[in-house]
Amino acid sequence: MKYSIVHSIVFFSIILVLGSCGNKDKGTTVPEGNPSDREAMLKNVADNIVIPANAKFEIKLDNMIAKSDVFRNNPTVTTLSEYRIAWAEAYIEWQKIGIFDFGPAADVALNSYMNVYPANVSNINANILSGNANLEVFESYSAQGFPAIDYLINGSADTDDDIVALYVTGEDADKRKAYLLRLTNQMHAKFEAVNAAWKGDYRNTFVSSTGTGLNASTSVMVNGIVFYYERFIRSGKFGIPSGAMTGTPLNASVEAYYKKDIGKILAQTAQQAFVDYFNGKGVTTGIEGPSLKTYLNALDAKDATTKQPLSEIINNQFTVVDSKLNVLSDNLSNEVLTNKAAMVAVYNEMQKAVRMLKVDMTSALSVTITYTDNDGD
Amino acid sequence: MMNVKSYFLKSTPVAPLVVFRIGLGIMLFVSIIRFWANGWIEDLYIRPDYFFPYYGFEFVRPLGAYTYGLFAICGLSALFVALGFYYRLSILTLFLSFTYIELIDKTTYLNHYYFVSMICFLMIFLPAQVYFSIDAYRNRKIEATHIPLWCIDALKLFVLFLYVFAGLAKINPDWLLQAMPLKIWLPAHNDMPVIGFLFNYTWVAYAFSWFGCLYDLSIAFLLWNKQTRPVAYVLVIAFHVLTSLLFPIGIFPYVMIVTALIFFSPEFHQKVIESLQRLFFFSNEKMLYAKADYVYSSYGQHFVKGIFFAFFVVQLLLPLRFLCYPGSLFWTEQGYRFSWRVMLMEKAGYAQFTVRDETGKFIVVNNNEFLTVLQEKMMATQPDMMLQYAHILAEYYARHGFHNPQVYADTYVTLNGRLGKMLIDPTVDLAKEEESFASKNWILLYNE
Repeated sequence: MKYSIVHSIVFFSIILVLGSCGNKDKGTTVPEGNPSDREAMLKNVADNIVIPANAKFEIKLDNMIAKSDVFRNNPTVTTLSEYRIAWAEAYIEWQKIGIFDFGPAADVALNSYMNVYPANVSNINANILSGNANLEVFESYSAQGFPAIDYLINGSADTDDDIVALYVTGEDADKRKAYLLRLTNQMHAKFEAVNAAWKGDYRNTFVSSTGTGLNASTSVMVNGIVFYYERFIRSGKFGIPSGAMTGTPLNASVEAYYKKDIGKILAQTAQQAFVDYFNGKGVTTGIEGPSLKTYLNALDAKDATTKQPLSEIINNQFTVVDSKLNVLSDNLSNEVLTNKAAMVAVYNEMQKAVRMLKVDMTSALSVTITYTDNDGD
Repeated sequence: MMNVKSYFLKSTPVAPLVVFRIGLGIMLFVSIIRFWANGWIEDLYIRPDYFFPYYGFEFVRPLGAYTYGLFAICGLSALFVALGFYYRLSILTLFLSFTYIELIDKTTYLNHYYFVSMICFLMIFLPAQVYFSIDAYRNRKIEATHIPLWCIDALKLFVLFLYVFAGLAKINPDWLLQAMPLKIWLPAHNDMPVIGFLFNYTWVAYAFSWFGCLYDLSIAFLLWNKQTRPVAYVLVIAFHVLTSLLFPIGIFPYVMIVTALIFFSPEFHQKVIESLQRLFFFSNEKMLYAKADYVYSSYGQHFVKGIFFAFFVVQLLLPLRFLCYPGSLFWTEQGYRFSWRVMLMEKAGYAQFTVRDETGKFIVVNNNEFLTVLQEKMMATQPDMMLQYAHILAEYYARHGFHNPQVYADTYVTLNGRLGKMLIDPTVDLAKEEESFASKNWILLYNE
């Protein structure tokens, strides 16, 4: 069987000749950082982003709950307006931690209990009357959390006096107050479960799971945040209310519909939180650490033709998103009615960012996207 | 020069074929158990609402809960093949049941499942039961020690096809000059003990790419040659164990490690059989030692040779059919399947479908309502699956308030680290397009 050796030699030679033709234009860019440092990235995420961001939110949430208690015990226009301020502050702060939609937050489905909107008014009212409605079921998701409180303190009557009256002389005043308490208790319980996990064992589990397989931290994290960006930022805040995804604009489906004037700041906060997360910016330090950006750079992920780093391309797209966000007015519900094109424009630019994150970034990281689109559910 | 006629008259000990029969049967039996134990029967063949049949095999329908029965039949026939129990019936059943399973949904297409199907097909016609089998034990008249040489060479030739085509496919600029996609895949495993740190270096990706290419092109020849065989087999083990550590490719590495044994000498396989005999306390005297040839009937021999000839012609042409289509094979995937392009590209995609009708009504489809995670992932990079999906959508929305729904795809696909690009012409109503072997003019070609 000598011919087989001859064949092998011929094949080897073909390969060597072919190979020697163009092997000189190897990448010359020196990768920044050490690609092996997924652990450094995970540490930065846990210690400088997730845990301090949770701590900041905890303060705002506790404050909101305190103001809620004050209001319940003494419903007046003054305590109501203080409650509203604390609620809005907590809601804005929530935008910075909603993104951690993986690990403990995914385990308890934190988002489902904190921020499913539009609020379902008839379910809220039914829950108030029943007094012991199950808050753990799907039907109750849109009857609790920030959106439900939005309705209860901003939208349940026309004037502030009328809202206060509901809690003082209203037929179901006691049941109403009891429901507010249930809602704040629920938010507290759900959030603290997640917060405690991060402050406890999960932090080490997260940091030490340095692989890229389905259940390793990098994969879990990337899946979580990209999913969040796609579903909760792009679709939730813009795609669905603007009608970009169904052709039917739904101005009442914007976030914080009853408060009217904080929709834009909520969206901007969420967007900025995502950008900072991508760049590894410490929540208290403001300093950029190991992140998806540095990891992509270390892997030398770049546009094959222009040699522009992928991290830069993604950040540029974020800048475009920002510019489209900036021109919106504060009342997004109003924007849907009068300036729909501007809302759709934000959606479109976010959609481009989603593609880069979901396809270009995850592919470069060799991370598998384990979830699918669930828009419009 | 080998005289063709005299070549076909040569006989050889049956032992290699027998050991191969046992190995194949056991591996498939284990593979079926593994599939079952992982819950994949449920996940892949029962849970999905929709399936993606192969063109021309649309009659292959999922069986619902009966799928378990199909797997049971498949597993049992694999075991029977290993034992050589009603061999002909068992191998035929194995081929049909295994192939049926694979044909249900192209989402799960893998080269090695196709390889197994084809090997089972060849084995239907080979006399693998004539020695060290329950059949031969029960009916000593069929017992034989020797079979025609071409019976074993056919298997070797098929394995050679697989490796050489896999190697030829690696002779492309991405693989050899860019070390793609290994440059992407390897760093993802840099936390692996002992060797993980190496994957941070670009030169390692190049080394792996070049070695992989040379390995595929040469390994079958090195195995065929007696002098190089021991070294080659060590390479086979090293190569496939490494790939099994790095990539989620299931039992494929072990299938190849066992399959490569077919190249070993009859004496080697005879020893394997003898140790199996000792292991299971068979009495040696019952085994035949005098040379006895298995002879095909004259009609049977012509029939099998004809089938094998056609088989190899097809096997030669199938991997090359991509030449009939315009554009880059990896991008369009026209002619991609059944061509031994194994672990060759990093491709990911995002496909959003918009369904419209004449009234101006439209909806951006939530893929999650129709497809499983795996189905969506595979669909998002493969044009023929997108087309099938578009038809699923058109049919669904026609029943749900859309008149003559039109389906448009907004796609974004990345290949081997290039920035994502549109794969499908977004202005084409896919609901009106039909599958065929003709080139799909709605696939956008990749212009670099």
